[in-house]
Amino acid sequence: MAAVSNYSEQLIEAAGIQVQIRRGGRGPTLLVLHGEFGVPGWLDAYDQLARSFDVIVPSLPGFGASTRPDWIMGVHDLAAWVTWFARDLQIATPLNVIGFSLGGWVAAELATVAPQFFKKLVLVGAMGVKPEAGEIFDYFLESGKTGHRRAFHQPDQCVEFARYYGKEMSVDEAEQIEQHREMTCRIAWKPYMHSLTLPHLLPAIATPTLVVWGAHDIITPLSSANIYQCSIKDARIVSIDHAGHMPEMEQSAAFVQAVRGFLID
Amino acid sequence: MKRQFFYFSEMGYNAYPIEAAEKYGYTNLMFPNSIFDREKARDLWQMFLREHEYASELGFDGAVCNEHHNTVLSMQESVNISAAVLTQRIKGTVALVGNPIPIHDNPVRVAEEIAMLDLISGGRIISGFVRGGGVEQLSTNANPAYNRERFEEAFQLIKKAWTEPGPFRWEGKHYHLRVVNPWQLPLQKPHPPIWAAGILSPETVRWSAKQRITYLVLGSALDATAECRSIYHEVAQADGWTPGPEHLGYLLHTCVMDTDEQAFEMGRHHYGISSGIGRTGVSASSASLTQSTGSAGVTSGGAHPEWASPPGYMTRAARTGAMVKQRRASEGTYEGANRAGLIVTGGSKTIIQKFKHIIDRADPGYLVFWAREGKKPHDATMRGIELLGKEVIPALRGHESALVTGKEVTPWPQ
Repeated sequence: MAAVSNYSEQLIEAAGIQVQIRRGGRGPTLLVLHGEFGVPGWLDAYDQLARSFDVIVPSLPGFGASTRPDWIMGVHDLAAWVTWFARDLQIATPLNVIGFSLGGWVAAELATVAPQFFKKLVLVGAMGVKPEAGEIFDYFLESGKTGHRRAFHQPDQCVEFARYYGKEMSVDEAEQIEQHREMTCRIAWKPYMHSLTLPHLLPAIATPTLVVWGAHDIITPLSSANIYQCSIKDARIVSIDHAGHMPEMEQSAAFVQAVRGFLID
Repeated sequence: MKRQFFYFSEMGYNAYPIEAAEKYGYTNLMFPNSIFDREKARDLWQMFLREHEYASELGFDGAVCNEHHNTVLSMQESVNISAAVLTQRIKGTVALVGNPIPIHDNPVRVAEEIAMLDLISGGRIISGFVRGGGVEQLSTNANPAYNRERFEEAFQLIKKAWTEPGPFRWEGKHYHLRVVNPWQLPLQKPHPPIWAAGILSPETVRWSAKQRITYLVLGSALDATAECRSIYHEVAQADGWTPGPEHLGYLLHTCVMDTDEQAFEMGRHHYGISSGIGRTGVSASSASLTQSTGSAGVTSGGAHPEWASPPGYMTRAARTGAMVKQRRASEGTYEGANRAGLIVTGGSKTIIQKFKHIIDRADPGYLVFWAREGKKPHDATMRGIELLGKEVIPALRGHESALVTGKEVTPWPQ
């Protein structure tokens, strides 16, 4: 499916900063919290979900064209910022939230303290917990380019990989990748990409949760998914075949089917 | 001030098999320490320290020591320990260039150790502070995105610990100490001379000028060093003061032997896989990203580009500015590095003329000869030290910079 259609992209003043926001579709609100690579564009998956939802995709502080307040030094700060952002946009709560990777960690932190914010929660390849087996891939020992490739099971067969990551980068695009890496360092350097307290708080999450994992994810090990599923009372897990860390880009149809089924159920 | 001449050696672990470096493509951070040979390292320490002693005996004004981690480049994993040893082995000044303060969680410990060194040495310490290389951030898990903030805050805390009566409390962004009250204070008042050092990060040059401290240029080409001097002077003049030679140091790969030809050949050791030149080569992450092929490439100098510049460690300006120009200047070859002045070689007569040219154009108050590197043999190193001490330094001591005299710049020998 071609990348689309009816969505808007703008810079707005909200939650104390300038925020880059992409928004499209109609229906109940679906807030998307992106991962450590930022928002590459209006993905096919967003477009398909926009048929059933009002899909709101902000670039989190320090990502994309959203400004970086220096006080944000941790994932808790980002989680608090998300609630502020939703209030400023007058988004009705409870709402549905999808969090990808680093954004999944943000969403999970938020769900432990603000259950009233959520209708349903989807965690995709979520960071935030230390895996019992394996290790979270260390992006910062490798180039941004290598990190992108590792996040896909078969990058060379993925249209959106070619569209957003596999192409020749302009200097500005390459700089934005560095900007995202720096922002990720600022908030998730130590302990690397996980919280020591979150696993203890996950049982407090009362929100129905879908844990989505690429079957070939080598960025966040499957054992992280198991921790989320086992710790959250009302959680189920779905594995997406032929996908790595970015199932929403690599297997968008299967991803959307799983997510839509869960959210509309 | 009278210009001072210092000796520098990375004291690098040069006993690793070159095949291992070629196999891995790098010689730092993750270069396996199973390759490390303890007995060889013990012998290297004795050789390096003997070379330092000899430089002191031959009239060098002082020595520079430094700190690196997880690398064959330098065996000095604590600059303060190196300095402690050197204060007992040499007569002159010991310049620590320096303590990589962002990697420390308690900068007051650094203040205490420098105070001890200054007291023990009878006030012979210069206290340099550095941000540390990218590898230092990774090997100590210091967040590179906050490197500059931590550097500046640690600097202010250390300076306050030396200059304001304790006890006081420090509640900063990165450092929090309930009671700052180091018992021992440095002998020199108000504190030892402070240097910052770098490889031409324009932010650090400007910051040094703002702090009115000496900026030591680490192994950069002369054109870039002269540019750095101009930036420093512009900032100072905007603040209403005029820097002197004492505000600029220049550390340069130097190889002097009995003839120009011998020196040129021996100088190749300065361009090896453990040399600083490779270290300052490709480090712009964005540069590797804009290339259509390859991902985590490997530089010719034994450093992985992502490790040299982890995220947030360098600004865009630094990544694309002076260092890139410098790499171009060296043309990626030993001969090019010679032409660009990244390595200064020659018999005594030639090298004296080269350094007069350098003094004429940059007027550094401190000229630091990086006179031992790589696998350069001990006897060649000792001969180089002897020629520097007996012929080169005496010839340079009376040479006033053309920047001061207004005379013509000494030509670079052809």
